[in-house]
Amino acid sequence: MNFVESTEQLELRKAVAAMAQGFGKDYFRTEAREGRSGREIWLEAGRLGYLGVNLPEKFGGGGAGIYELALVLEELAASGCPLLMMVVSPAICGTIISRFGTEEQKEQWLPGIADGSKIMAFAITEPDAGSNAHQITTTAHPAPDGGWLLSGRKVFISGVDHADAVMVVGRTSSAEGYLRPALFIVPTADIEYQPIAMELVSTEKQFMVFLDEVALPASAIVGGADADLQQLFAGLNPERIMAAAFSVGLGRYALARAAAYMKERSVWGTPIGAHQGLAHPLAQAAIEIELAKLMMQKAACLYDSGDDRAAGEAANMAKYAAAEAAVRAVDQAVHSLGGNGMTVEYGLAHLVNVARVSRVAPVSREMILNFVAQQKLGLPKSY
Amino acid sequence: MKIVVLVKQVPDSGAERNLRPDDNTVDRSSANNVINEMDEYAIEEALRLQEAHGGEVTILTMGPERASESIRKALSMGPDGAVHVLDNALSGTDALGTSRVLAAALQRINPDVVLCGAESTDAGGQVLPHMLAERLGIAALTGARKLTVEGSQLTIERQTEEGYEVVTAATPAVVSVWDTINEPRYPSFKGIMAAKKKPVETLSLADLGVSAEQVGWTGALTGVASHSKRPPRSAGQKVADSGEGGVQLVEFLTNEKFV
Ligand SMILES: Cc1cc2nc3c(=O)[nH]c(=O)nc-3n(C[C@H](O)[C@H](O)[C@H](O)COP(=O)(O)OP(=O)(O)OC[C@H]3O[C@@H](n4cnc5c(N)ncnc54)[C@H](O)[C@@H]3O)c2cc1C
Repeated sequence: MNFVESTEQLELRKAVAAMAQGFGKDYFRTEAREGRSGREIWLEAGRLGYLGVNLPEKFGGGGAGIYELALVLEELAASGCPLLMMVVSPAICGTIISRFGTEEQKEQWLPGIADGSKIMAFAITEPDAGSNAHQITTTAHPAPDGGWLLSGRKVFISGVDHADAVMVVGRTSSAEGYLRPALFIVPTADIEYQPIAMELVSTEKQFMVFLDEVALPASAIVGGADADLQQLFAGLNPERIMAAAFSVGLGRYALARAAAYMKERSVWGTPIGAHQGLAHPLAQAAIEIELAKLMMQKAACLYDSGDDRAAGEAANMAKYAAAEAAVRAVDQAVHSLGGNGMTVEYGLAHLVNVARVSRVAPVSREMILNFVAQQKLGLPKSY
Repeated sequence: MKIVVLVKQVPDSGAERNLRPDDNTVDRSSANNVINEMDEYAIEEALRLQEAHGGEVTILTMGPERASESIRKALSMGPDGAVHVLDNALSGTDALGTSRVLAAALQRINPDVVLCGAESTDAGGQVLPHMLAERLGIAALTGARKLTVEGSQLTIERQTEEGYEVVTAATPAVVSVWDTINEPRYPSFKGIMAAKKKPVETLSLADLGVSAEQVGWTGALTGVASHSKRPPRSAGQKVADSGEGGVQLVEFLTNEKFV
């Protein structure tokens, strides 16, 4: 086992952090508050090859792994610029297309996803299925021209308004009525969507997506009609790892802001950071973030080594641990600033909700606990 | 066009820096060592020249073993290769000695343009570009906030306190730059990965034909006799404005010879 990052990984951390600090937390917060998407930093990160580090060099990527992609998102978030769509576009969609897509799909999508010029959203959640992905009803019926007619509804889909296409999880129905899970690449121009009003200060909005007999060519299915969905879901491990990276970075950001404030602020003649009532909970939060990060790194290493199975467990645990740690770190950070913690100026309070997102998305805390209870502990299922 | 960029590794100016108690030199062991900030602007300018006019960009660094970290960082921004002058006898070398060594290295490379930062954040002497130009017998275009190249003609806008001066010279020349000249790029992921594969030539004093007596402690013509910490800031003088605060402020400024 090796806990030492390579020179290249360390340099990448520094470069990403310097780039993000060049834009600055205030830039990012203003983008989010004013309903913009942070397009400039997204494109700059793409141009510098940060968004596509994990994608194959043949298709414009960096040829590295999810470890490096997670490191990029962690550093962006730690600098106050958490680019949520990295979880979706290069990590989920980029991974699935590069592992299971046809050559044509790779050529069409990967270079753009890698350099940030194209964004692909990902839609699995449905109003009536929610955490239970087996209940998904979005269905593609064969069309006379050999293509598909896709119908269904999706909810809480991030970033549809800035995406070129949405990767939709659905099922194909055959003449015998047999339903098979499948993934479709659907151009955003062909779908209807509506924003959901969220209590979130974020550069991404969430949308309801309405698919009403959307006509798709046969080539819209990722990997073709015979692709194995088990494989496809293995391609979702990067999503968990990236969600963990998002939380770890967010936690680091909150801890750093709080620590800086606690060194300066003094109301009893000594900096408030000297009071153990504040110092210890922050130190505890720092330990929890560090532990979650370690699990994230383990999951990423396992994934990059090609062990999807082992990566699955580690990725779920990392996502769980990082979300919990970030929620506590942000909560403690906000509290450490007293009244200033609640002001817009100090830029922490809005992160309370942002940190909570990873508790429920992309997979909720309870579903991870279910997974661990059943898979690791062999406990019976309640549902 | 053959361009050399001088890069110095310095302690991070954002953190606390100290001089060593034993020999009064900058303490580099405890510090986070980085590329001298102004040098990043010189690298950027070199890369822009290369993009516009073609040619080759080489980093030149004189420094201890760990300066190779800064060389690699510089290379990750895009230059083609580097020369590292590394020799134990260099410890204690002053600005004159440094210019002797760098001039010898530059003579080997024979560039059209030598780019460097106008000053380093640790020594801050602003003398090296001039010394190099003198030793090499070439022009010094110093303190540039803008550089344009037409054929073998270099034109800079030299930043001054009041405005700028336009200075021209033919290549070869030394050009030193301020941080107003451009916005340095961040290393791309490809740049970071490529950096370790780029050639770094290590040269000793013997390779450069410079004798150990001419540099290091023995060769230094200047030395630091002693040093002490900057005294803590004394409490300022508070001016309460009860109608004639402005007058008091001006008096203060006049007494301190600010106006
Ligand atoms: C900001 C944000 C962005 C999102 N972006 C996307 C996106 O881009 N694409 C996408 O497809 N989806 C996205 N989602 C949706 C997200 O993945 C879902 O909200 C999540 O999977 C939970 O589904 P649900 O909201 O239907 O909750 P439900 O499934 O209704 O769950 C409600 C509660 O019940 C609990 N629960 C459910 N089943 C069990 C059980 N068996 N045992 C114990 N507890 C249980 C859950 O843990 C949860 O606390 C996003 C959500 C948010 C908030």
